[in-house]
Amino acid sequence: MVSKTEETQLNRLENQVDNGGGGAWEYLCLVRKLKVRRSEKVLKYGLSILNDPKKRSALGPEEWTLYEQVAIAAMDCQCLNVAKDCIKALLKKFPESKRVGRLDGMLLEAKGSWAEAEKAYSSLLEDNPLDQVIHKRKVAMAKAQGNISGAIESLNKYLEIFMADHDAWRELAEIYVSLQMYKQAAFCYEELILSQPTVPLYHLAYADVLYTLGGLENLQTSKKYYASTIDLTGGKNTRALLGVCLCTSAIGQVSKGKNKEDKESPELQSLAAKALEKEYRQKADDKLGLLTSALRSLKI
Amino acid sequence: MVAELKYEISQNAYIKLVLHTLKHKTTAVNGILLGRVNPQNDSVVEITDSVPLFHSNLALLPSLEIALIMIEEHYGSKGLGIVGYFHANERFDDAELGIVAKNIGDHICRYFPQAAMFLLDNKKLEALPMGKDQSPVMQLYIRDASKNWKLAGPDGGSRFVIKEPAANAVLSDYISSEKWQDVVDFDDHLDDIKKDWLNPELFK
Repeated sequence: MVSKTEETQLNRLENQVDNGGGGAWEYLCLVRKLKVRRSEKVLKYGLSILNDPKKRSALGPEEWTLYEQVAIAAMDCQCLNVAKDCIKALLKKFPESKRVGRLDGMLLEAKGSWAEAEKAYSSLLEDNPLDQVIHKRKVAMAKAQGNISGAIESLNKYLEIFMADHDAWRELAEIYVSLQMYKQAAFCYEELILSQPTVPLYHLAYADVLYTLGGLENLQTSKKYYASTIDLTGGKNTRALLGVCLCTSAIGQVSKGKNKEDKESPELQSLAAKALEKEYRQKADDKLGLLTSALRSLKI
Repeated sequence: MVAELKYEISQNAYIKLVLHTLKHKTTAVNGILLGRVNPQNDSVVEITDSVPLFHSNLALLPSLEIALIMIEEHYGSKGLGIVGYFHANERFDDAELGIVAKNIGDHICRYFPQAAMFLLDNKKLEALPMGKDQSPVMQLYIRDASKNWKLAGPDGGSRFVIKEPAANAVLSDYISSEKWQDVVDFDDHLDDIKKDWLNPELFK
């Protein structure tokens, strides 16, 4: 998960390298650190360093980290020969390595040899049953083969042991959402909010899921979590501001005719609307008209 | 008589959606198709433009609702309406029209009862640079009388055409030049409202 500042920094570096301004190694390190998926660029710039003997030796021991990074990027881009060469170089240097064994397994995955990859991973797990990366590769394999229920089962089992793995909870939540299993997705986001209460992304995702579930109680809670997202992001999150307006409108519709014991104060919605109008006026002036009529249609 | 309708998509609307799928190769994406019934021939639906929608969490409502409100408002003032929905699955070998797509499609039919759904045909897209096929790299789905989405039959080839016959050649060119990087969708807009989901500069 990457913050906006980190993403801007990464894109700036990427543009610099793209335009011949150098900094390829810096870029590759940053991609590694942020764990983002930019396989085409990693492959291109990583290979240019690896194929140049001077540049390669200048890396010292980091050379092997680069081989690993390029191998994975190559597999993602289906350049399996490049991946094979990188893995061969790594095997030569680290002949007994389990870490390289993992890459071998991934290469089998990339080729679509699911059964062989499964075997390779199972044998690696025998020696190290707590290898989180391999457990997650098995989930990825299930997903890649379209076995979504298998992926869900494996991921749930994984999370029983490694319950602090936030990325895994997020992955599970997103799988549930894609199957319209919103209650289960909500549970995942609740776990994430409990363990990392100041990450606005989880509040926002939770609010989105609750809104989608619908019903008065969910809508009221959803509004609260859009509000907490606004709080945590200093009022700058467009989705949360829009979410508040959507919730207010939906709550109004659902409670029409019902005896409203706690009257919804209109302040939150009007503040959100004002903030949105200000944002659009400053940054997306041509869309301001669309925004105002959208907000008008929500104030039913 | 939904069974008799033909759908004709403009080159730009078509290319925009396909480029969007290439920008986000690892996730499902979707989009909205805009157009109108041909005023001179009411058995033809002209799709004149498209808006790429999302590349994450397609099954969540808030962003979809906002997008539809704004899209309808913008195109309504030009005499155009929502006439269809486009979906591309996450996996290459998944050629099924999933439940999320069907639900959104049903919702679109409330705007326009003859709305159609278009599913990206991954195998056709892969074969694109190698062949001279002028037919769209998408499959057409129509709702039958019992409101079930059905793949348009063997004559589907003639029911869904691209207005400009050279569109696939243009698309192949754009793919080689990696033009997909310039496509902006509604997700991008919500993350940074300076980005314009109308993509006004894309084909200039």
